[in-house]
Amino acid sequence: MNTESREHISSLMDGEVSRETGRFLVRRLGADEELCGTWARYHLVRDCLRHQDGGLAGDDLAERIRHAIERESVPMTPRKAYRAWMKPAMGLAIAASVALMAIVAVGPESQVADPAGTELAGRAEVPPFTSPQSLAPAPVSQTASLLGTSAGDSRMNAYLLRHYQAAGSTGGKGFVTFVPIVIKPAVPRAQPSDPVEDSEPLPDGDGSARPQ
Amino acid sequence: MRARIVPAIVTAGCLVWAANALADSTREPREWLERMSTAMSQMDYQGTFVYVQGDDVVTMRITHVADDEGVRERLVSMSGAPREVIRDSDGVRWVLGDDHSVLQDQGFNRTFFPQLPLDQQSQARRSYALKLGGTGRVAGQPVRNLKILPRDQYRYGYSLWLEERSALLLKWELIDSNRKPLAKLVFTDIRIGSEVNRNELQPSSQLKKFRTVDSRLPAGRGQVSKVPRWSPRSLPPGFELTDQRFYGPQDDAVMEHLVYSDGLAAVSVYIESAQEAAEQQPGLSALGTTHAFSKAGDGVSITVIGEVPAITVRLIAESVAPVSP
Repeated sequence: MNTESREHISSLMDGEVSRETGRFLVRRLGADEELCGTWARYHLVRDCLRHQDGGLAGDDLAERIRHAIERESVPMTPRKAYRAWMKPAMGLAIAASVALMAIVAVGPESQVADPAGTELAGRAEVPPFTSPQSLAPAPVSQTASLLGTSAGDSRMNAYLLRHYQAAGSTGGKGFVTFVPIVIKPAVPRAQPSDPVEDSEPLPDGDGSARPQ
Repeated sequence: MRARIVPAIVTAGCLVWAANALADSTREPREWLERMSTAMSQMDYQGTFVYVQGDDVVTMRITHVADDEGVRERLVSMSGAPREVIRDSDGVRWVLGDDHSVLQDQGFNRTFFPQLPLDQQSQARRSYALKLGGTGRVAGQPVRNLKILPRDQYRYGYSLWLEERSALLLKWELIDSNRKPLAKLVFTDIRIGSEVNRNELQPSSQLKKFRTVDSRLPAGRGQVSKVPRWSPRSLPPGFELTDQRFYGPQDDAVMEHLVYSDGLAAVSVYIESAQEAAEQQPGLSALGTTHAFSKAGDGVSITVIGEVPAITVRLIAESVAPVSP
């Protein structure tokens, strides 16, 4: 999608296009999935920016959150009970949705379909990660800190910094990505009994996972 | 006739309603994720938070501004050695307070804030179950809980508490595949929009005494080739190549940088000529919840880094091999 299209979308959101252009853009939105996605993202940005002056800060906020950290419990409010008069309609709708889900479940997207509320869904369905080559159980040296002062550590720090730049806000986490490199240097944490870092054999197999 | 039409209309109506309800139930967690991504990158915010990982409890301060000058951000530790990360249009600088140096790297200059594309979120749904939790209050604000649960042991999951209106992240938890918490971040004070004090974007004055060290990695954006010269022969399910750069040859120095992502977690694979990375020690390293695994062989040094379990970086590193022409 070119810059002109994005500018048109932006103008449409601001009500700065003629009626004819507006109709044209609406028709394009209906047919162009990428343009439609841009339209949705622009609305997200606008919604977020409109909430910026909402004042999240409070005078006693810090104190309250400090207490929250000490308690480390977030009381979750249960959903409101549905009103009694809705129950018959809900029952019918649930029956209909079950029928619809049965249709969806046999569709081509059923492997990706991921209804909210799935608890670690698909753990058994995901094939175990195996390597096409037979990997012998290789001993791994004791875990070292990534933050050190030797030449090798400097190299690793450079790798680390470039990785964080490249990964950027993958997953939308923003600054959280960079937090680990601001904490104090980690201490060696592998123990002789650590099953992953020290003694667990690498899985080998028939390459059924995802050969590249 | 009417006796048949009326039930048919009612049934059709219910099906449409159910279809919409089903679409909402699958779309809503994804929308929260999109809103969070937008809020974290596009909003102005500033606050103090506590980061807990193992026995470490560190207080930090973040100032994030997005305006006509682009995105500027400063993340600074409030206790212990003066460490901070400064991100702006000049790149990223990492202040290492312990040895009074500032590490800078120009590798991804001006491109360090990639947005999360929608298709990556579809990709993420193959590797994680998105679950919208209940409502609650964190830091005195109404929040909605969003759980991102890994489908296997090759990636971490997240439990996020997002402010209801803006979707700004107020509390974050990293969990393993058994839902054991690994790290936690909670804001103790936050300001947004016009309340942000932009003066805090300035590096602390004591940094003037620190020496600036270049990363010594090949600079520039590198070349992008259609086919990497090296690549892992197998990957955990869901990980796909999202970026690749090839640097060199410069004075016989060659570096290939591959970035793989499952939509949420990212892993970097570095392949360098052995003499260039001679000081690199083989084995497993860790910084908090970030792991790295290095090995040498075939005249190259291979290092894999990512905020993923140790087994993931090790398995990927072990499978890296030259790509047949």
